Amino acid sequence: MTRDLLVVDRVIKRFGGLKAVGGDDGLSFTVPEGTFLGLIGPNGAGKSTTFNLISGVLKPDEGKVLLDGVDLAKARASEIAALGLGRTFQTPRAFPSLSVLDNVIVGADSAGERVGMAFSGRWRDSEGALRDKAAAVLARVGLSERINDHVGSLSGGELRMLEVARQLVRDPKILLLDEPTAGVDPSLQSKLSNILVDLHAEGRTLIVVEHNLHFLLRIADRVVVLQNGQLLSQGTPAEIKADEKVITAYLGADHAA
Amino acid sequence: MTLLAQYALTGVVTGCFLILATIGFSLTRQVEGFLNIAHAEMLGVSAFITWGLNAVAGWPFLPSAAVAVVATAFLGLAIGRVVYDPMRRLGPAVLLITSVGVAYVMAGVMHAIIGTGIRSLDMPLATSYKAFGLRITDYQMVVVALAAATGISLALFLNRTKTGLAIRAMSSNPELAASRGIDVRQTSRATWLIASGLAGLAGVMLALIATLSTDIAFNQILQILAVAILAGLGSLYSVIAAGLIVGIAMDMSVYWIPAGYRPLIAFLVVILALLVRPQGLSGKARS
Amino acid sequence: MNLVQLFLAVVMFGSLFSVLTLSLNLQYARGGMINFGTVAYFAAGAYAYAIVTQEPPSGLDQYLVGLHGPWWAGFLAAGVASMAFAVLTGWPTLRLRGEYLALTTFAFAEMLHSLLVNERRIGNGTVGLANVERPDPGSLGLPDAWAYAGAAFLLMLATALVFRRLLASPYGRAIDAVRDDETAAEAIGKDIARLRFEVFVISAVPIGFAGALYAMITTLVSPDLFTAEVTFFVWIALVLGGERTILGAVLGTMALVGFQELVRAFPFESVRAAEIAAAGEDIVTGILFILILRWQPFEAMVKRRAAA
Repeated sequence: MTRDLLVVDRVIKRFGGLKAVGGDDGLSFTVPEGTFLGLIGPNGAGKSTTFNLISGVLKPDEGKVLLDGVDLAKARASEIAALGLGRTFQTPRAFPSLSVLDNVIVGADSAGERVGMAFSGRWRDSEGALRDKAAAVLARVGLSERINDHVGSLSGGELRMLEVARQLVRDPKILLLDEPTAGVDPSLQSKLSNILVDLHAEGRTLIVVEHNLHFLLRIADRVVVLQNGQLLSQGTPAEIKADEKVITAYLGADHAA
Repeated sequence: MTLLAQYALTGVVTGCFLILATIGFSLTRQVEGFLNIAHAEMLGVSAFITWGLNAVAGWPFLPSAAVAVVATAFLGLAIGRVVYDPMRRLGPAVLLITSVGVAYVMAGVMHAIIGTGIRSLDMPLATSYKAFGLRITDYQMVVVALAAATGISLALFLNRTKTGLAIRAMSSNPELAASRGIDVRQTSRATWLIASGLAGLAGVMLALIATLSTDIAFNQILQILAVAILAGLGSLYSVIAAGLIVGIAMDMSVYWIPAGYRPLIAFLVVILALLVRPQGLSGKARS
Repeated sequence: MNLVQLFLAVVMFGSLFSVLTLSLNLQYARGGMINFGTVAYFAAGAYAYAIVTQEPPSGLDQYLVGLHGPWWAGFLAAGVASMAFAVLTGWPTLRLRGEYLALTTFAFAEMLHSLLVNERRIGNGTVGLANVERPDPGSLGLPDAWAYAGAAFLLMLATALVFRRLLASPYGRAIDAVRDDETAAEAIGKDIARLRFEVFVISAVPIGFAGALYAMITTLVSPDLFTAEVTFFVWIALVLGGERTILGAVLGTMALVGFQELVRAFPFESVRAAEIAAAGEDIVTGILFILILRWQPFEAMVKRRAAA
């Protein structure tokens, strides 16, 4: 019996009186530990809002989002990250004044980020291990050769990989990826899907919000389909592919297009 | 009680002057996107041109004032085009710091030409009028009338004319304005002319109601900043409200605490306002 | 004024103001915070030093407190006072960004100035505190000017070393990340409010020490010495030296102080001539400032070096 790492419990979010997420009863679903959850839905289905509610950027008007049992309602973004939630951004973000390697190391909570430690110089003891770990993570996402480069020289796809690496070095309990295939060329997409499959195989919990349905159905082990801010269907990829509601609402439209 | 009312009335006059002094500053902030610290020096320039023509060259007041306002407007345009335009891509923080450099140059030039000491216009002394136990001078009434006239004509200009509407469009969303076919360069030039002209007008008022010294501009920038922050660097109307609030608060405070703290009150109001509403009175969020 | 005197003045005041420039460099170039109230922390240090070391009030004195403590107690108090003022002003303004922060720090500095002018019980109002006590370097066998120039230089060196140690650590990396992208920094658990506040407060401490040393050198503290011009001066020095490097900040300050001392060293026939020279100094300073910001030669140099 695995525990539920993330619980979305009857959540409702309104914008200007309109419900962006949650129908009459609110949106509910759970993410057990070790799950690779795909969150999909057509444009305007509430994917981004749901993502922002889970990552704590938005706070629900009603209902709760629990991360490993902790209510995220009052937590700031940095506190949520410290609780073990790692996230990427739809438009990848990097720190331009840091090298590729430092962009990853900075993701770890180094002891040297305390003033006293920084002055004492004792942070040097653990810095080597951090450096090795960051290098290993960079190798994993295929950025070994860019390790000393300036982030300005990375492509859009490489920046996404860098973001994933920066989160992985933190060992998050749960990793959220926001549209990871957007703007990424096909060769890098297949590399990305390999990495995600690997991470899942290691027992990590992943949530991926995607527009690209086929990408997700191949690799996720559970899928949640949203429509008009409500849960349309959830199940294994096979069940989703067979679900009449999903076919008419999403696949049908997608195939027609 | 009468004394308190008297302070409140003086506060209205101060507020009207601050409105005149701040509108141009606020307009620059909105259209050009940065805080122009040198704006206050424009007041000084105008005040001293008025003084030079009136007290030194012996011209009557009105033509001196008119020349001062026009000259200041064009000086502002020239500085805008030569100094700030090429630097716009560097962002508001760099422009803000640059304007400190501009203020240095302008203050230096004024010091070199005019020197230290206190000056005043060659004008008859102000006549006092009394009503309901309250006193107001004719020059003070001119300031109030001029502020009102300026406020109304500026509102009409911004709402009714093509250039005015372009300025408003630029100030709310420059990218959108540019994509909708608004001539950004021309609008920017019009803004420099108007903002500097308004500074010129405020400078003339300063020459009328205060004694002049070359460091006068610096003292003004503090209060202009206070009004501008309180207004949230927002619309014309919030500048008017903020100007009156700061003016009245400053002058009425004299009733309870030593007059030396008057400028401090301006900032106290501002700091309180900022802490409650980090985006100022107008509450317009800017990233 | 001969060359030796000129040299000493440049080293003394150049080093002293370099401490301010270095602190500003930490706040702005690394922390991304525009502090337009630098002078206030400097004044807090100078006044704290004077109050701790001076004798209790007598005669015409209007100030209330004079502890007649030793110079080192005053020096320490200066750092504490500056830090306390940074805590006081940093706490409420933390959530402000960019120009709003610039204006609020400016406002706080003006409030402190106004308080020093009006509240005579602090330091005699506009008159200030004259004959500030200072240690006599004669016991070390050094002339005063040499000793204080040396002390200023040491303070600058210490500030630079401490800041470098801090910035070369993971702490420096974290504040770089926060300055580059706050949202992304939060997503990796960086406590932005804590880091910004700490940088703000830490950088105020050396400014306080510099204030104490300034009070020793001039043996006078008065509100006139601590106007917004000091803040602008330091900003100009920072821009002059090119952002982001410790050496640049120091060289920029030295150059600006040297330039000022040269103008002052020139013998003027009349008051008017001196006045014009002072104005000319402002004009040239301002023009240099604009030109450097406009063409950013230092940024270009850094980029060229990075490309090479």
